[in-house]
Parts: sequence; C-alpha cells; structure tokens
Amino acid sequence: MTNLEEEIRRVFGDVWKLEVGTEVPELKPDTVLLETGLDSLGFAIFVSTLDEELGFDPFVLAEDAYYPQTFAEFVAFYEKYRPAA
Amino acid sequence: MTELSKRIAGDGGDPVLQGSGGRSATKADLAAAGLPDGIAPTDRIALAVADPFEAVRMLAALDGRVEAILLLSRSLSPELVVELARKARCTICLSDQFSALGGDLRIVCPDDPAGSQTGPAGVSTRWLMTTSGTTGVPKIIPHTLRSLSQSVYRFPPATRPAWGLLYDPTRFAGLQVALQALIGGGRLIVTDPDAGIGEQIATLADHGCSHLSATPTLWRRVLMTPGHARLALRQVTLGGEIADQSTLDALAKAFPDARVTHIYASTEAGVGFSVTDGRTGFPEAYLQSAPGRVRMEVRDDILWLRPAETALAAGADGIEIDAAGFIRSGDRVAVADGRVTFLGRDNGAINVGGAKVHPETVEAVIKAVPGVALVRVSGKSSPVMGALVMAEIQLAEGADMEETRAAIKAACRDGLNREAMPASLRFVEDFEINASGKLVRAGT
Repeated sequence: MTNLEEEIRRVFGDVWKLEVGTEVPELKPDTVLLETGLDSLGFAIFVSTLDEELGFDPFVLAEDAYYPQTFAEFVAFYEKYRPAA
Repeated sequence: MTELSKRIAGDGGDPVLQGSGGRSATKADLAAAGLPDGIAPTDRIALAVADPFEAVRMLAALDGRVEAILLLSRSLSPELVVELARKARCTICLSDQFSALGGDLRIVCPDDPAGSQTGPAGVSTRWLMTTSGTTGVPKIIPHTLRSLSQSVYRFPPATRPAWGLLYDPTRFAGLQVALQALIGGGRLIVTDPDAGIGEQIATLADHGCSHLSATPTLWRRVLMTPGHARLALRQVTLGGEIADQSTLDALAKAFPDARVTHIYASTEAGVGFSVTDGRTGFPEAYLQSAPGRVRMEVRDDILWLRPAETALAAGADGIEIDAAGFIRSGDRVAVADGRVTFLGRDNGAINVGGAKVHPETVEAVIKAVPGVALVRVSGKSSPVMGALVMAEIQLAEGADMEETRAAIKAACRDGLNREAMPASLRFVEDFEINASGKLVRAGT
C-alpha cells in the first residue's frame, strides 16, 4: 500500500510545475491549498489528476458536499474515501 | 443627473458604493460624477476600466450622456478591445488600463484632470454587453438600462442589503449585482480583483456584506477559504453555471441564516428567473407560469425564453429569435418528475467555471500538431470547476507519443486560453464512429 500523502504531494508538485511554473511551495498540515497560489482551475486539474493516478475522487464519492481547506484536511478526505485495497 | 443615478435608492447621505482602500461614494457623489471633457452626447464609448469601483462610477456618469456604452471586461486583450470597439462603432475608449490602442480609438482616462462635465443627461443610452466565450470575438448584445434592470427587486429601506461584488461589473452577471444593489435599495461592496480570494472575502466581511452572488465554481472556492465563516450572509445567490445539488447543499449548511437562490440568466435573453427551493433545476410548473415576467417553452429539449423587455431584434448577431419573441437559449434541458434540469449547451460548449469553451476550436488547434491523426475534445465533469476540457488523441502511424504530447501541450499554450487548454490528454487506439461516419461526441 503506497503512502497516500506522499502521492498527493507528488501530484501537487507535478501540477504546480505545469500550471504555475515557479518553485513548488512547501505543504504543511495547516497550509490552505487555495492560498498557495493555485487558482480554481489549477485546483480542479490537481483533483482531476489525482483521480487519474489514484483511481478515485472523494469529491464525487462523498455523499455530503465537503470542501477541505487545509492540506491536512485534504489528505484526511482522501484517506477517508480511499477504496479498501 | 443621469437616469442611473436618479434611480439609485437612498437619501444621498449613506454610502451606496464601497471599495477596497477605504473608498466610498454616496448617491450624491455618483450623481455628481462627471465625464472627462470632450465626450459628446453623440459619442459611442468603449468602457475598458479595470478598477471595478471606477467602472461603476463611470457607468453612473455615462448613462444618458452618450449614445452607447460598450462594456468591456478587464480580461479582454487589446486586440479584442479594438475589434469590439470597431464592431460597435465606438470612437472613444474610456480606460484606466490602456494608454495606446490600434485603430482610430481615442483613449480618455476616467480621472482626466482636464475637466469634467456634469451637464444634462437626456439621451437614451444603449448599453452594449458582450458575451463571455473563451474563443473568438465575443458577441455584442444590445440592452438598455430598462432591459437590464427589469429583474431588480426593490428591498424595503429597513433591509438595506449590502451586496458583495466578486464578479466583473462589465459582465452580465456582475452588472446585475451592481444594479440590484444600487437601484434595489442597498449598497455595493466591490473588492480588488487582483487580490487573493482570502483578502477579497475579508474586504466583504469588514464592510458587513450580507448578500453575495457568485458562480458555483467561485462559491466552492469561497467554501475552501477559511475566512468565509466571517461572512454573515442572509442571501446566497448562484448564477452563470449549472447549480448542482451538492454545491447547493454545502452552501445551505455553511450559511444557515441565508436564503440560497440560484439564478438562470443569459446575456442574450436578459435575466431569466430564480429558484429558491434549494434544489437543482427548476419546477416544471414554471413552463406554464414563471416567476417574474419571463415566459418559457421547451422545444426539442432546448429552453426558449421570452423576456418582458428586450432590445433585440430578429436576426441580431447570431441570436435565434422567433416571431413571438422567444429566444433560443441553446441550453439543453430534461423534464422529469415535475422538475426541469439543465444538461449543458446544445452546441457541445463546455462550461469551465463559467467560461464557455467550444470543443471544435480546441480540436482545430490539436489537429494541426504533427503526429495527430484524430482528436476528440469533450467535457469531463469536475467537482471544482463544473467541467474540465479533455482531449482524446489517436496518433498517426509511427508518431511518438511523448513527443506528440509535448507538441500538443505547446500548441495549446500558444493558441488557447487557459480554460480551453485540455486538463487531460488521453491517447486512444481507435475512435467510435457513428452510422453517419462522424466521430461520436461524448454527451451529445
């Protein structure tokens, strides 16, 4: 089982390089994702790329709409909806 | 006094317009807003003012004093500004963002110290709106202050709603918010469009914003910003994209004291109607009797609307309008279980966070890349933006996948707006071809 948080960090870095192009910011647990400089479109591409690479999208799977703000909340959201291996 | 400033509610003492940096204006200030010298009642003005506070102030000054105002978004390129001004026969560009433009356009700065005129305002000014496509030259849609303000709701004076403006006020949705706030008995709070979303929300909260309108994509962004809890909202309005159930639910939960309304509107037809029952789509009963004065019909799964007021004539700039005055919206709908729901645009346009992307335009750019045999562009649903652009590509014989991928990305960066650039490229072996020999397009 791969480390989900590391996977998310790696994909964030890849999307950042393509969409923003500057040095990838450090993601701390309390980093607010939308205040890193990633706009809505960049964030949407991040979520879409995660779906392609991880094979699931918690935003689609969640019954109740939930919008994580910090990086820790984002990772926890993905952990919660990660399909059982 | 201009027609717009006459119709602004309030007694003149309270601010009706507030912005970042502590700026504010009362009804009296807006009524006194003058025009730079050298603008005559017969002039047609291209308004390209990037600062939303100044753009609203200039609208109050221009209405009734010029023949036409062409409202141009701050996001337009100089080339499109020139092209649209030429199409609208404008000779003067009122702008705080350009100092020189091609063509015969004379540029005038809104705060030109050369003098200002506040003379009589007796002209019936045309308000020329532009559509918000991401590709090609936007369409120009003629309006009047009357047709634009037909859906303004007059709030009782005690309510004094404080409307936040997160939209571009030169676009249809943003102008609706501005007119609702100014004419409908409230005040308008504009934010700095160059500031981050957190800072914009802080500006709104600091000024006591009680009513806020945004696209579903923008609302999801607000919900992902920690400071949103400071907004004491009584009204949450969604427009510009299909309002999906999960976003409506999340907003109702985040702002329990607010009424959640989603609005269906198109620049072509003027505003349509609003829905407040918290459910996506609208009641089928609206087809018999819609709120407001708009009438609606569904013909071949497409919604047609007849607004009460329109400045459109049949055959106007690519708009389909029938003899009875019904305008074809181009929105595909489904009717089931007493509810009408929106499916998307009938021309296959993909709505990426409110920006319309035509798949054909994207396909044309990709098709021109060496190594590409066939391409199909479609929308991929996104919980963040509503939809994203996806491209499927069939390689030409012998073409290298990674080289082609890099070439496609470079061509898209050069030839397309960011919203139109495919968020995902997929290489396929083969495409499904339908009975008439055409590529099968997803979702149509």
